[in-house]
Amino acid sequence: MAKSLRLSLDGNEFEVMITRIDRDDLYGRVEVEAFDEKGKPAELKVLAADGKTLIERGGSALAVVNEKGDSIERSELVPVDLEGEELTKVESSFNLTNELSAAEVDDYLGLVVKSVYVLDPAEESDITYLADHLEGGQMYKFPFSYRGGIEHDAAYILGSGKDAFMILGKDGEVDYLKLNQATVLDPQEEVEISADEISFDLL
Amino acid sequence: MAINISNAQNRDAVVAVETLYGKREIRYVDGKGKPTANVRVLKSDSEHELPLLLKKHKDLNKVAKALVKDDPEIDMDLTGMFLTDTSKVYVSPRGIVHLVEEFELVYEPDGELKTRRPRIKSSQNMNSEVPVRWTGKFIKKEEAVRRFVFTNTKQVVHVNGLTFDFLYQMAEDLAKRDSMLLLRGGEKGDEPLVMNRGGKPYNAFLEGRVKGESYCLLLHMSNMELKRPKVIIADE
Repeated sequence: MAKSLRLSLDGNEFEVMITRIDRDDLYGRVEVEAFDEKGKPAELKVLAADGKTLIERGGSALAVVNEKGDSIERSELVPVDLEGEELTKVESSFNLTNELSAAEVDDYLGLVVKSVYVLDPAEESDITYLADHLEGGQMYKFPFSYRGGIEHDAAYILGSGKDAFMILGKDGEVDYLKLNQATVLDPQEEVEISADEISFDLL
Repeated sequence: MAINISNAQNRDAVVAVETLYGKREIRYVDGKGKPTANVRVLKSDSEHELPLLLKKHKDLNKVAKALVKDDPEIDMDLTGMFLTDTSKVYVSPRGIVHLVEEFELVYEPDGELKTRRPRIKSSQNMNSEVPVRWTGKFIKKEEAVRRFVFTNTKQVVHVNGLTFDFLYQMAEDLAKRDSMLLLRGGEKGDEPLVMNRGGKPYNAFLEGRVKGESYCLLLHMSNMELKRPKVIIADE
């Protein structure tokens, strides 16, 4: 059975269940089938750079090599930070109480999104306090690790309608680009639109 | 990657877009503290996979015996080679296929087959003769983040002094409005953006920020709304 995630907001603790969702869950999926000139089924394979070696799905693997190009066992690898200091392991967020802190829209917009989860209250848990704040336009953030490991992802909690979502990813490296000079734009015909006017199921 | 984009005055310029990467704060070293690198290697080519071994040895027992006796699953010359510059190809029983007919099987979220249709590969429309259009349709950032999931974000970057001004102005306008601009491509300026031929179409939004004399222009691409599916299949 899935484990609940304990969250804390302003000292109020509650447990939520998270369920991963993706585009296929909303709009369905598209599979491609292919045939050669004779109508025989064709499948996608990987062609190596030599132009003749064909590789099936699962026929390749990622390996780690040292400076000499020799393979290294993963167990020999040491994770370090940018200063070269060895990192300590982080615990799975499911084993902790995760303190939510307020987040800004601009921070969230710099997120490189990995996955989306819908939140539901765990059995006998009440998330009204969180839901009220999300409906009021608040957004929250906390460091998240599914199984534990050496680093956290950034988890943002936000509301859409009556539902709460957790968007998981890595904070991106957003750069402000310099040169000089700025001018004022002339106004042109512009309109405010509602999000409802934009079609998604036609994509 | 380049984008041909027009501004509010319908002036267009070709500028660059760069992928937004997550902050990388971790690297791996070996036991001596020396840097390491990830490489993709060949485990087994098609000629040494189970289906061909089965074809050669007739049944699984004989394959098992062959595996114990020799190493028929390994090509001593190829196995372990670094894979770079690979490409994807269609292969039929007659070999590599150069002319292929593709069909799309479209399934509903509940898994039911909705339709089967010939696959039409859309051309990319981000860097074509027709610039990506400044539609003049704005959405408040606060609303956009609660309605759409931005599954792909890129940063728009100037390529010279003129385009610095061009993009700075866009960023400034968008920052003042605290809004995102809906972008559209194609002749009629009504198509979602497609980055590569046959690639996914995205609803694209432009967000701008300025800080002193610097700017940040982000192209947020979305192919998914932030909403609860009608049917959720629990995982993990």
